[in-house]
Amino acid sequence: MSIPADSSLTSHHSAHDPNELDQTRTALITGCSRGLGLAMTEHLLAQGYRVFGCARGESPTEHERYTHFRVDVTDEHAVTQLFRQLRTETKTLTALINNAGIASMNAFALTPSETARRILNVNVEGTMLFCQKALGLLKRAKHPRIVNFTTVAVPLNLAGEAVYAASKSAVETLTRILAKEYGSFSITCNAIGPSPIDTALIRNVPSAKIEALLQQQAVQQKATSADVINLLDFYLRPESDMISGQIVYLGGIFS
Amino acid sequence: MTVKKADIENIVSEAIEMTNLARENDQKIPYAADTALYGPNGHLDSMGLVAFLIDIEERFMDQDIHLSLSDERAMSQAKSPFRSIHTLIDYIDSLIKEISS
Repeated sequence: MSIPADSSLTSHHSAHDPNELDQTRTALITGCSRGLGLAMTEHLLAQGYRVFGCARGESPTEHERYTHFRVDVTDEHAVTQLFRQLRTETKTLTALINNAGIASMNAFALTPSETARRILNVNVEGTMLFCQKALGLLKRAKHPRIVNFTTVAVPLNLAGEAVYAASKSAVETLTRILAKEYGSFSITCNAIGPSPIDTALIRNVPSAKIEALLQQQAVQQKATSADVINLLDFYLRPESDMISGQIVYLGGIFS
Repeated sequence: MTVKKADIENIVSEAIEMTNLARENDQKIPYAADTALYGPNGHLDSMGLVAFLIDIEERFMDQDIHLSLSDERAMSQAKSPFRSIHTLIDYIDSLIKEISS
């Protein structure tokens, strides 16, 4: 393959990579076996993406363009293996979607340290690990994107969610700083902060609490997966090259 | 797995070439053993170094050799292995010998 005369077009691509101008969009989604992760997986498949998903368990998704990895996002060795295998299947990654996350609603004074550690491991370390390992594949893609997940519990400083909100504050800071550092590779890095959605994450939260939370929103209703996907599409579209380091909350919440 | 020093030199030279593609003529990195890469008088800033190392790692991965160049071990060495082209080549050589033994 000949190299275009304009070297700026090839600055982040391997001259020997036969796939360098491949138009196929690829996405890696963590926590893809249920809830939002599953909805985003199905959506991106419908959009024509080649999707790689990972979760601790199996995935219900069956599609010719879907590959599933059973991985705990906090297990560095397993994540390294995932990327080795991923690299045999694709030379570029258009989108990394760090959706895997866990929450625990607990008064801070009553939160066991093991629970706190696990929340920080999955939400912060897991996100960091994937952002690091995916860099090589992302920087070869056209319009590469990282999308992280935060929560409205951060701007609302919700009582009972201290550790969860603290972990997502870390994700927000990581998102902004990676937007700067990875910006030199033209990778954008943004975050989505969903308001309450009926998924497993809030299944155990009392409905009165959810109701009180909704009262604090400008748009006082529960969000759906479609609202998240709308924002995801905005971040992913090629026209969004100038959108980076942004944290957008659903429901009309602003700090 | 046999990787000769000349193979490593080739890969590093290709990665330099690739880095130079994105640089203006007066910013090109000369390929020579004592060319300073990172640190005093180095041609690469920290993100430039990251991109360069990832490129090298990927070229080795194409040959099914999995190296981690920019891990804590490299960063914590008293003398950075990324000072110059020849220190980098020596470092890669030592890593490959380690994983093949």
